[in-house]
Amino acid sequence: MQPLVDNVAVGEMLRLHGISRRGFIKFCTAAASAMALPPWMGPAMAQQLQNAPRPSVIYLSFQECTGCFESFTRSFAPTIESLIFNVISLDYDDTLMAAAGDAAESALAKAMHDNFGKYVLIIDGSVPTGAGGGYCTAGGKSAVDTLRDAAKGAAAIICVGTCSAFGGIPFADPNPTDAWPISAIISDKPIINVSGCPPIPEVITGTLLQYVTTGKVPDLDEHLRPKAFFGTTIHDRCYRRPFYDQGKFAKTFDDEGARNGWCLYELGCKGPTTYNACATTKWNGGTSFPIESGHGCIGCSEPGFWDKGSLYSPLSATDWGKAGESSPRQVLELAAGAIAGGAVLGLASAGSGRLRQYRSEHPLDSEPKDS
Amino acid sequence: MECHLSRLTDIGIRIEPPARTGGLGGGVAAVLSELVSMLERVALGGKPATIDLRSLPMSPQDRIELQQTLGRGEVQATLTADGVSTLQETGVSGVWWIEHRDRHGELIAELIEVAAIPQILEVSSDEMIASAQALRERLSISHEAPVKTDHATLS
Repeated sequence: MQPLVDNVAVGEMLRLHGISRRGFIKFCTAAASAMALPPWMGPAMAQQLQNAPRPSVIYLSFQECTGCFESFTRSFAPTIESLIFNVISLDYDDTLMAAAGDAAESALAKAMHDNFGKYVLIIDGSVPTGAGGGYCTAGGKSAVDTLRDAAKGAAAIICVGTCSAFGGIPFADPNPTDAWPISAIISDKPIINVSGCPPIPEVITGTLLQYVTTGKVPDLDEHLRPKAFFGTTIHDRCYRRPFYDQGKFAKTFDDEGARNGWCLYELGCKGPTTYNACATTKWNGGTSFPIESGHGCIGCSEPGFWDKGSLYSPLSATDWGKAGESSPRQVLELAAGAIAGGAVLGLASAGSGRLRQYRSEHPLDSEPKDS
Repeated sequence: MECHLSRLTDIGIRIEPPARTGGLGGGVAAVLSELVSMLERVALGGKPATIDLRSLPMSPQDRIELQQTLGRGEVQATLTADGVSTLQETGVSGVWWIEHRDRHGELIAELIEVAAIPQILEVSSDEMIASAQALRERLSISHEAPVKTDHATLS
């Protein structure tokens, strides 16, 4: 996939596509709303982007189900086509591009070469390192090698989805492919994690747009997620919260409480320990979110969510305040510290035993095995 | 058993608002209080102010209550730019309820703006200078075709 027009500023590209100043203010207003930024930021963003160059974006998919990319393409504000045509130069994406085989690989190499040090690298999927990286290869090259090569020239890496951010389902016990999140392999580049299984479309495009607009990594939480979207829990912003406060809980999915829209806490809702924007940004163009459809939050944007027990078991009081405790990097650090100190870790978090074993067998500065 | 439901809208949904002791819901009252202070600020020469409705955790009931309390005013503007936007003056002068939709009709932003005229409708002096230049060129080229595609109508 070739950039449509090289070295053209965003404002000029808009004019080429017949989009007016008002249309662009509207686009930025919607984007600011999706990004949970103050409303006055929309017009300010439009002003700033007018003369900004369109950055090169390279999108790589590794061990994943393409659900994240499906989500990405369903963004309403901004729409993916608005981003592709106007704000970014999407130079490589193996799902969207018409090219295949050598032509596709050449496009990737050219984009990396021409924009070295400047491009934004978007990744979905975890990286399997078992069997010499053989569980995921493209063009005769393993995912782990492709990642390391592509990361060298990246200005920043945006990990889209829980698999690339935290390992996700491939990383879950028993992790047969020895899969890892990006942050466990690449440590010398700014990383922004946009977690979720899949992430909310507007959170993906909003994070990308925010980076493009400001040229800076946004404020991140301890799991490298943008605070604009992951700053509060689902529970904090849930419209059913008043029922929780009143002690009104649905006991089954079809009882009177469920029909009255009462709190789903006792049906296993993970909203209190899950940080995401579902309750405000919502899904399908702001239509609703799972709790609004009568199902509790499953906590898919948190590290290790797949290994945290039944989706339908109520949260234990001991879980509160521990959202995302088992991010791979955090567990690695904890494990490394414990091993160095000769301590025995009692972490119940998913994957911690595996990580302890890995770290006990490898030097602390080594990378996950790729051969 | 025969099922007569053919559309999602056929499924009856009852929304029970949180128990209240009377008056407006807490979220609605908070928005209205903020609007009062915004109106006072803008009236004294302050910058137009905006509330992003999508950032508020309001129940459908709260949303309806807020709309009913503000009511509808005399002016509605329609902006056609990359989709249709409606800018409806509420029954409270200076308070506008704005809905932005994309080309597919999907709601992409919903705001309340406090201003004499919503900012997006205003034309900048730069644009007027560019317009004057464009008109001047058209005068010199008799067969010039119209190029402007966006328009806003007030009714």
